[in-house]
Amino acid sequence: MVAAFGVYPLLYSVLIALGGGVAEAFLPRPETMTAVFYFGLFAMSFDFISGYTGYLSFGHAAFYGTGGYFVVLVANGKVPLLPADTPFMVSMLLAGVLAALLAVVIGSLSFRLSGVYFAMITLGFAQVMYVFMRDWEFVSSNPRDGVAVSNSLHPEGFEIGVPGVDVLNLAIGPLRGDEIEWLFLDLGATEVSYYMVGLVVLVCYFAMQRMVHSPFGRVLVAIRENEERARAVGYDTFRYKLGAFAASAFFAGIAGALFAGVRRSVSPDNSLYFLVSGDALLASIIGGFGTLAGPLYGWLFDRSVVEFLSKTGAGGGLLPLLREYLPASVVDASLVGGMTLGEGIEVFLNGHAPLYLGIVFVVFVLYVPGGLLGWVRERLGGTVAKQLPDYLAKFRR
Amino acid sequence: MSALGTVVEVFVSGMAKASLYAMMALGLTLIFGLLGVLNFAHGSLTMVGAYAAGLVMVTFATGGGLAAVGWFLVAALVAAVIVGGVGAVMEVGLIRKLYDRPPIYQILLTFGVTLVIDELMRIVVLFYGQQPRADWRAPIGTKPEFIDSSTSVLGASVQHIDVFQFAFGVLTVVAVWAFLTQTRYGLVVRAGSEDDEMAAALGVDVRRVFTVVFALGAGLAGLAGALLMWDPTWGASVPLASETLLPAFVVVIVGGLGTFRGTVIAAVLVGMVDGVTTYFFNEGIITFSGISELTIFLILVGVLVVRPQGIAGLAEVGGH
Repeated sequence: MVAAFGVYPLLYSVLIALGGGVAEAFLPRPETMTAVFYFGLFAMSFDFISGYTGYLSFGHAAFYGTGGYFVVLVANGKVPLLPADTPFMVSMLLAGVLAALLAVVIGSLSFRLSGVYFAMITLGFAQVMYVFMRDWEFVSSNPRDGVAVSNSLHPEGFEIGVPGVDVLNLAIGPLRGDEIEWLFLDLGATEVSYYMVGLVVLVCYFAMQRMVHSPFGRVLVAIRENEERARAVGYDTFRYKLGAFAASAFFAGIAGALFAGVRRSVSPDNSLYFLVSGDALLASIIGGFGTLAGPLYGWLFDRSVVEFLSKTGAGGGLLPLLREYLPASVVDASLVGGMTLGEGIEVFLNGHAPLYLGIVFVVFVLYVPGGLLGWVRERLGGTVAKQLPDYLAKFRR
Repeated sequence: MSALGTVVEVFVSGMAKASLYAMMALGLTLIFGLLGVLNFAHGSLTMVGAYAAGLVMVTFATGGGLAAVGWFLVAALVAAVIVGGVGAVMEVGLIRKLYDRPPIYQILLTFGVTLVIDELMRIVVLFYGQQPRADWRAPIGTKPEFIDSSTSVLGASVQHIDVFQFAFGVLTVVAVWAFLTQTRYGLVVRAGSEDDEMAAALGVDVRRVFTVVFALGAGLAGLAGALLMWDPTWGASVPLASETLLPAFVVVIVGGLGTFRGTVIAAVLVGMVDGVTTYFFNEGIITFSGISELTIFLILVGVLVVRPQGIAGLAEVGGH
C-alpha cells in the first residue's frame, strides 16, 4: 500500500492524461490526498485509543486543535521562549508533546470513568478548550475566525526535514511549498507537500503500529475485551490506558500541526469543535474500528465521495462527468415537476456528501462492524500484507 | 436600576433559560432512563421540530395577536407529532437491532443518524431558497407584539417572551411528571427503567414500551424545537442541532443520566448560571464573551469528576 501511495501523484497525472474526465471525476486530487494523510493520521490516533481500548474519546479534537494552534502561535511569536523562526519540525514535535501532557492531565481525571461517561467528560474538556480558544483575544484579533500565520513574522513556508540543514528540508503548503526538478522528476508544490506530509504520517503510522503489536498493545486489547480480567491478571490498567491516551494525543497533536502547517491557519471550528472528533469517528467506523490503518482508508473514502459530489466540481465530479459523456438532451431532460436531471443532481447530490456518508456510516455500524479493512481482512483470513501473496498465488498456475 | 430590580431581571431570564434547557434535555433523559441509549440525534430532532413548527407558523399564523399564540400551540403539537413519528421509525428500524451490543454502538448509530437528518434538512432548506446556517427569520416574525414587549416589575423590565417560555417549560415538565407518576402507562415506563427484564417477566410488552418512550422523547425534542423557533437567540437553523445537543448533554449528565428529577434540577442550575454569567458579561464585569458556555462545560467536567452519577443519579446506572 505504501508503494501505491508512493506512486499516486505520478499515476494521477498519467491517468488524467489518458482517461480525462472519468479519471478526474473518480480519483481524488493530490491536494485532497495530502489532507487525507494528515486527517487520516488524526483518525488513526483516535482509533488507537478508542478502537483498541474501547474508550470512546469524543473530545479527541482537543489534541488535534492543540497541535494546530501551537504551531501557528509559535510561528506568530506568541509562545514564550520560542522565537517565530523556530523550525517547523521542532514546533511540531513540541506540539505533540504538549498534546500528550494535556492528555495526561485530562486522562488522569477521565479514566476514573468509563463507557458513556468517559465519552462525555472528554467531550466536556474539548468543548471547554473550544470555547476558550474561540473567544480568547490573545490568539488573534478575531478568534472566532481562527488565526493565520503572519506573513511578516514568518514569511517562509513550513519545512519538513532535518532542522538546521537547509538541503534536507522541503517546505510544504500550496503557495510556499518547494518544487523539485531532479533527473526526470518534476514535482510541484502540491506533490512535494504530498510526499513530505505522507512521510511524517508514515513514520507515525509505523510507530503506532509497533506499539499496537507490542505487549503494551496486547494489554490495550485485553482492556477492551474485559478490563476486570486484565486487572485481575495483574495489569495496572489505569496506567496502560493513560499511556495509550498520551501516545494517541501525541500523534493527534502531530496531525494537527501538519494540518496547520499545510494550511498556514487554524480556526476553532475546523480543529477543536466536537464535530471534528465526529469526523474521526466516521473515518474509523467506515475504515475499520480497531484496525490501525483502517481510519486512513475510511477518510480516503470520505474525501473521495465529498470530492465526487463537490459543488464547484473542483477536481472533477459527477455533474461535469455526465455533461461530458451524456448528450445535453439527457442532462437537461425534464424529470418530475419540470426539474432537469442536472438540476436534480445539483439539488440532491452536489455538496450533500454528508447525507450519503451518513447512510454508509449507519449501514456500517449495523452490518459491517469491522469496517472496510476489517471486512477485507476477514475475507482474506489475516492482514492484507500477510495474506495477499498466498491469495494471488491461487490465480497463478 | 435598583438592586432588587436587577435580581428580578436576572432571575426571570435565568428561569426562562432553565425552561429552555429542561425542554431540550427532558426527552434525552427519558430515553436514556428506559432504553439506556444516549441519543446523539436528539439535537437534530429538536432542529427538525423547530423547522416543522416554523412552517406551520409561517403558513397559518400571519395575523398576529392572540390567535398567533393559539397557532403556536398547534405548531408545537404538529412538531411533536412529526418528530415523535421520526423517533418511532428510528427506534423500530435502527436502534432495536443494537440493544445487545455495547452502549458505544448506540452512540455511533445515533451519531450517524444525525449526519443524515442534518443533511436532509439542509437539502430541503436550500431547495426553498433559505440559508441553512442562518436563522430562519420568517417564523420569528410571526411572534405577536405583546410577547415581544416587556413590562416593568419592581423596577426591572421583564421580557414577556421569558415569561412565556417559563410557563411553557413548567407546563411540559408538569405534564411529563404527571404522565410518569399518575398514569398506568407511566408506571410501566418507570418499572421498565428500574428493571426491564423483570417488567417483561410480569407481562409487559417491553419492546412496545421502548418504541413508545422513544417516540415520546423525540416528541419532547420537537416541542423544544417549537419553543426555540420563537426565541431570538436560538431560532430555526440547521446548526441548531449541535447547538442544542451539547447543553442537553450537560443538563442530562449533571442531573444524573435517566433521572427525571435530576434533569429538572440541573436545568434550573444551568439556566441560572447562564443567566447570571450573561448578566456579568452584559454589565462588563467579565469581558470574556464565551463565559456562559465556558461555565456550562466546566460544570459538566466538574460534576463528572466529583460526582459522576450526577445530582440525583444512582451510582450503578450507566456502568461507569
